[in-house]
Amino acid sequence: MDERLADEFTRICGPDAVLREPLQLLTYECDALPHLREKPALVVLPGSAAEVQAVVKLCARDKVPFVARGHGTGLSGGALPVLDGVVISLARLNRVLDVDIANKRVTVEPGVTNLEITRRVAPFGYYYAPDPSSQQVCSIGGNIAENSGGAHCLKYGFTVHHVLAVEAVMPDGELVEIGSTLADAPGPDLLGLLIGSEGTLAVVTKAVLRILRRPESVQTLLAAFDTISAAGEAVSDIIGAGIVPAAVEMMDRLAIRAAEAAVHPNFPPADTILIVELDGPRAEVRELFATAEETCRRAGATTIEIAQDDEQRARIWKGRKAAFAAMGRVSPNYYVQDGVVPRTKLPEVLARIRDLEQRSGLRIGNVFHAGDGNLHPLICYDERIPGQSALAEEVAREILTYCIEAGGSITGEHGVGADKRDSMPRMFSQDDLDVMQQMRDAIDPSRLCNPGKVLPTPRLCGEVPGPYREHPAERAGLAERF
Amino acid sequence: MPTDSHTIMRPGDASDAVDGVVPRQVVEPESSADLAAAMADASRDRLATVLRGGGTKLDWGRPAVAIDLVVSTARLNTHLVHRHGDLTASAHAGVTLKHLNQELARYGQWLPIDSAFDGATIGGILASGDAGPLRYRYGTPRDLLIGVSIAMADGRLVKAGGHVVKNVAGYDLGKLITGSFGSLAAIADATFKLLPIPKASATVVASYDDGERLGRDAQTIMGSQVEPVAFDVRVGGEGADAGTPYLLLLRIASSPSAVDAQIESAQRLLSGSARVVRDDAERSIWDEQVRGAWSGGGAVVRVAWLPAKLVELVTLVHEVQKMAAGRISLWGRAGAGAGFMTIDGDVLTQAAVVRRLRSSVFVGNVTVLRASRELKSQVDVWSLPGSALKTLHALKKAFDPVGILNAGRGPI
Repeated sequence: MDERLADEFTRICGPDAVLREPLQLLTYECDALPHLREKPALVVLPGSAAEVQAVVKLCARDKVPFVARGHGTGLSGGALPVLDGVVISLARLNRVLDVDIANKRVTVEPGVTNLEITRRVAPFGYYYAPDPSSQQVCSIGGNIAENSGGAHCLKYGFTVHHVLAVEAVMPDGELVEIGSTLADAPGPDLLGLLIGSEGTLAVVTKAVLRILRRPESVQTLLAAFDTISAAGEAVSDIIGAGIVPAAVEMMDRLAIRAAEAAVHPNFPPADTILIVELDGPRAEVRELFATAEETCRRAGATTIEIAQDDEQRARIWKGRKAAFAAMGRVSPNYYVQDGVVPRTKLPEVLARIRDLEQRSGLRIGNVFHAGDGNLHPLICYDERIPGQSALAEEVAREILTYCIEAGGSITGEHGVGADKRDSMPRMFSQDDLDVMQQMRDAIDPSRLCNPGKVLPTPRLCGEVPGPYREHPAERAGLAERF
Repeated sequence: MPTDSHTIMRPGDASDAVDGVVPRQVVEPESSADLAAAMADASRDRLATVLRGGGTKLDWGRPAVAIDLVVSTARLNTHLVHRHGDLTASAHAGVTLKHLNQELARYGQWLPIDSAFDGATIGGILASGDAGPLRYRYGTPRDLLIGVSIAMADGRLVKAGGHVVKNVAGYDLGKLITGSFGSLAAIADATFKLLPIPKASATVVASYDDGERLGRDAQTIMGSQVEPVAFDVRVGGEGADAGTPYLLLLRIASSPSAVDAQIESAQRLLSGSARVVRDDAERSIWDEQVRGAWSGGGAVVRVAWLPAKLVELVTLVHEVQKMAAGRISLWGRAGAGAGFMTIDGDVLTQAAVVRRLRSSVFVGNVTVLRASRELKSQVDVWSLPGSALKTLHALKKAFDPVGILNAGRGPI
């Protein structure tokens, strides 16, 4: 990279805001998907929207690719740097700018963590609804980029349902307002397009978020089942009864064991457990919770534990939310997959995953948002055993095939990023992808804003379009996709 | 032009007029592929094209000049799939919301959007962002949309999203098309997440003659744990409660016992004189609330405000009422801070009211929806925020490079 550019960044943001030492850069080489790594030329940490704007303008001038980064908790390599490009860390834009209880909204900078928002409004009886498992550390800017969900999105939706407006720096360096702090901004829903665009259309520098009144009542139950299909039946019956639970989560034996080893939530030793949470006005929850409980019993629940207070509820959720990280307790390595199937296809797809487990010889733990069919199979492997890493990837890929065949999606909440861009043609036609690329080029004609994410990279010469196949050059070790 | 046997093509007549302008031709494709073919032909021949669903909001937008072609989805209405176990449904753009909801009701489900227009189609509702009181709980159409198939101006039929509620694969072009008023592409098919129809419902109607008290009560409800599905306000207006200066309406929909408990809580919190309506009386009051703004003959303007600024809004309504000799009413969503204002009177007065609204700090996103051509010549119907315009224009150019769509009437 041009020394002059680095100097200009330093002049704009200060000497301590530009990182260039290899050791300093190491942290930024990957996000929470560590097998994808790349060395940026430098990392810049602007302290204000104006500084972000100035940095982007310089990148645009010199045609240097840039990648915006929140707190690096993404699971699809969305914040993977571009070789010799610039990483713009939004970590220093971490102020809560306004708390407006009367209008149920907060205005924050992108580096504020998800949980911090709830912490700030909790004293008034409010909370911020999207709750990804990483909520203690993930940034709201990252949530906006990925359209993050969480355990409660069955009832409350995703980030896109909770953002009213943003201020963003466009790839040409223009600072714009998108959306409106008032309802019904006229014209196409640019805000809806931007949320979930994985940092490829703009760098968000400020967001106005909707906060919700804490529900009057919350009830949580933990039901144990002997078979995963019985648990699946309970989910179908609850939803069939016209109940929209705040959350319905499922964990299988391996995931239960891992969670138990890591945070001791005291889960029953069952084949499958179901966590069902209802919230809302007291009378409604009382009535519907009784129905949900009865439904679990009828579907064959062996035990049902009802959280008696917030502490017990927190313990259940701690077990659930720790499940990913906890796999480290039962396996040297694991691969988290994120796929979606229509809810009614869950039993069929889970049976296929169990069958795959048998055939592959790799253990697969299942933790998922059963209410909306979002699967998170955890594929256990040991990288020290030759071939197992590759096998794990193959198994993960096979699971996506099941999701696509069932009419679902290759990602429910982790995003496409760099990880799944080459799987996009499995879900979308070439025309679909071309139009998406055209849209993106209209906004970022120089292709500098987080390039190499979301859409498949241009085909290598001689490659056949369609499902991923290893290119001859890859096989020969002459090229790779990362 | 398409000669396909599945596509009806005919000369336009008076019944096809768009805001008073008769199109030269009307084409009615019967399939998504035919819709795409019609778009390709229109682009090739550079025809000024207006997309039409049920035609219920066709007069919205800037005044029409010459229109070569209307592409109608009147016959693009055969595909309707209800996946009730998954709480999702897909339908052709030309299926009406009313028909869709009749089908969904067989399994106790619905797409909770309330449009003022019986003939409104799925495509038209998305393109215009049509929404009513139920948006308080369920959001606007964009919040319920999970997948679309769109016919691009160049004839490519592409999709975004899918059939599952949770899905972040690829760009959400469905959102982009929402609110585009036919300026970017034609919607061929849409997939929505659904909800169970609540088992019981009741509404508290509180009347006020004091704007301050109305505002205080609205704020009390907003900050309470009462969870209405609709939370509306009315200022002036004809109908059953004509003569009452202000109404607040809270609709509770849930299980029967929960409805009773919440109605009781709401009544306790309200200081105005409140009555509870159920069944037919409830249906009729909400029907009036949804359609009221459109039942008269005046101009209809969409306005938005910060929910906590209801008192200031009401004061503003009074101010403009004086300008129009009282013939202004507001039918709004108190909880969302959005509503429709009807303005009777001569064009000069209507234009002055629109200008006054646009200059106020208490309302924003003032969009003129239904208006005479004279009024449209006095004020721009759109009031797009300036800073994102460049991006929107770049998108318009990418999607509709020849510039055939919506003949300059849309927001972009």
